[in-house]
Amino acid sequence: MNLTEKARQMLARNLPLEDALPTEMPTYVNSVAYLFGAATLAALAMLIVTGGILTLFGPGWHHVSDVGRFVDALHFWSAQAFFASLAAHMATKFFQAAWRHNRWKTWVLGLLTFGVAVFAGLTGYLSQTNFDSQWASVQAKDAMNSVGLGRFFNTMNLGQVLTLHVAVLPAIIVLLVGLHLFFVRRDGPVLPIGERDEQAH
Amino acid sequence: MSKRTEEYLSGVPMKRYDLLREILIVLAVIAVIVIVLASVLGSPDYPTVRAEDVANLQPIAYLQTSATILAGNSSIQHYGPPYTADRDNAQHLFRQAPANWFGVSIPLDPAQDFILKPLARVSILDENVTGALKTYQAASTDQQQAWLSAYLAALDNATAVDGQVQIPSGDYGPVSTMMDSMLALGRAGLLEGALDSNVRQPFESDFTQSLLFFQDNVVASAAEKLDLTSDQWGILHETGNYPGAWWLFPFAFLYHVPPMNNSSNADIQAIFIISMVFLFLLFLPVVPIFNRLPRWLGVYKLIWRDWYSRKKPPGGGEA
Repeated sequence: MNLTEKARQMLARNLPLEDALPTEMPTYVNSVAYLFGAATLAALAMLIVTGGILTLFGPGWHHVSDVGRFVDALHFWSAQAFFASLAAHMATKFFQAAWRHNRWKTWVLGLLTFGVAVFAGLTGYLSQTNFDSQWASVQAKDAMNSVGLGRFFNTMNLGQVLTLHVAVLPAIIVLLVGLHLFFVRRDGPVLPIGERDEQAH
Repeated sequence: MSKRTEEYLSGVPMKRYDLLREILIVLAVIAVIVIVLASVLGSPDYPTVRAEDVANLQPIAYLQTSATILAGNSSIQHYGPPYTADRDNAQHLFRQAPANWFGVSIPLDPAQDFILKPLARVSILDENVTGALKTYQAASTDQQQAWLSAYLAALDNATAVDGQVQIPSGDYGPVSTMMDSMLALGRAGLLEGALDSNVRQPFESDFTQSLLFFQDNVVASAAEKLDLTSDQWGILHETGNYPGAWWLFPFAFLYHVPPMNNSSNADIQAIFIISMVFLFLLFLPVVPIFNRLPRWLGVYKLIWRDWYSRKKPPGGGEA
C-alpha cells in the first residue's frame, strides 16, 4: 500500500483545490454573518504572531519594556477580538442550524476549539505575572482541585502554565481549527433552512 | 469542484468569489481594531502583591498571616488533596470527591514549609533565631499554641509606627523572635525565594508556596479593593476595568445562584453543570426538539434574507 498515493487520493476526493480555494460561492452566502469565522481566524493569527514575539522575549518582558508592553497589549486585545469573533461565529452558526446536512463534525470541532480556547485563555491570564495572575492562580486552583485536575495541572506552577499556554494548547487549537476548516471547505456552506429539508439530518 | 460539492450545490446559482481577498480584508480590519485598542487602551498590568511590600506597608497583617500559618490555621493546613491528606475537606458531588481519587501530589505542611523551614535557613545568619526555634520545637503542642494564641491576640492591639510594630508585652515564648525574623525576611525581599527554592536550585518555575502564603487575607483583601472577587464578578474583568474572561459569564453566573452561592462544593457543582451544558451543546445536532430551535427562533431569515427575498419564503418559518 502506497500511503502517499492513498493520501493524495483522499485529498483529491475530499478537498480538490477548487474547494480548498474557491473562486465561486453559492449566492446565499451573502451576509455579514459569514465573516465571523474569518474574523476568528484573523484574530487567531494575530494571537499567534503577537504571542510568538512575547515568547521570544520571555514572560517578564512586557513589565520592563515599552515595546514589550505594546506587544502585550496587542496580544490582550487579539484575545478579546478572538473570543468576540468566536462568540459571534458560534451564535450565527447556531441560528443557521449549520449542523444540518451531515455537518455535525464541523459543529463539534468548533465547540471543542472553544473549549480548548477557554483553557488557553485561563493559562494566558496566569502567565501575565501581574496581580491578575496572582489572584487568578489561587482562585482557579480550587476549581481545578475540586474535580481532581489539580493532580495534573497546578495553576501556580508558572513553568507548566506557560508551556501549556505557548505550546500545547495553541498546537491543539491549530489542529482543531485545521480539521474544522477541512470539513468547512470539503462540505461547503450549508444550504439555507427550508432548502432540501428532507435531507437536513 | 468535487463531486460531493457539485451534487450538494446542484441547482444553486453561484457568484464570483475571492476567498483569499476576503480573508486578507478581514485580517486587515481585525489588525486595525486591535492596534487601535492596544495603542489607546494598553493592557492591564497591575503589580503583584510582594512579601516585601506587605512587610513594609502592612507589617501587622504580615505578622498575623505568619502566626496564623504557624498555628496551623491557614486554609491550606487541612485543605486535602492535592496538598494534604485530609480527605474530608475535598469538594464532593453525588458522594464522590474526585480530588481524593488522585491523592496528595503537591505535599504541603504550611506550618513547616511556610514558616519553620524558612526560619531554619535564617537561623544560620541569626543565632537568636536558632535558639528560638530550638525552644519552640522542644515545647509541647499545647505550649506552642498558647504562645501563638497570646501573640495573635496581642497583634489585634498592636500598632505600627514608621514601620515599627509595637506589640503589647506578654508571654509569647520564642514566637516573638521567630515572627520578627519572618518580618525581616519579608522586608529583605527574600521570603518568596525561601519559600519557592527547591532541590533544583537555582532553577525554579513553581511558585505554589509563595502564591499560597498571602492568599487567605492580604491578596484576597487587595482583590476585593480591585473588584476582582467572585462576588464582584471578578472573572469577567481585569484590574483597571479592562475586559476579562467575559466568555465565562455562564460559568461565573452559576456561582451567584443556589445552591452554588452558598455551598462548600460550589466549584465542583458549577463545573458539573457547565460541563453538562457543554456536552448538551456538543450533541445539539442530534438532540430532538432542541436541534429545531433555530427554525423557531427565525434569526436565519435575517441571515439569508436576500436568498428568501428572491424565492418563495419557507412555509412560514417551518420549512
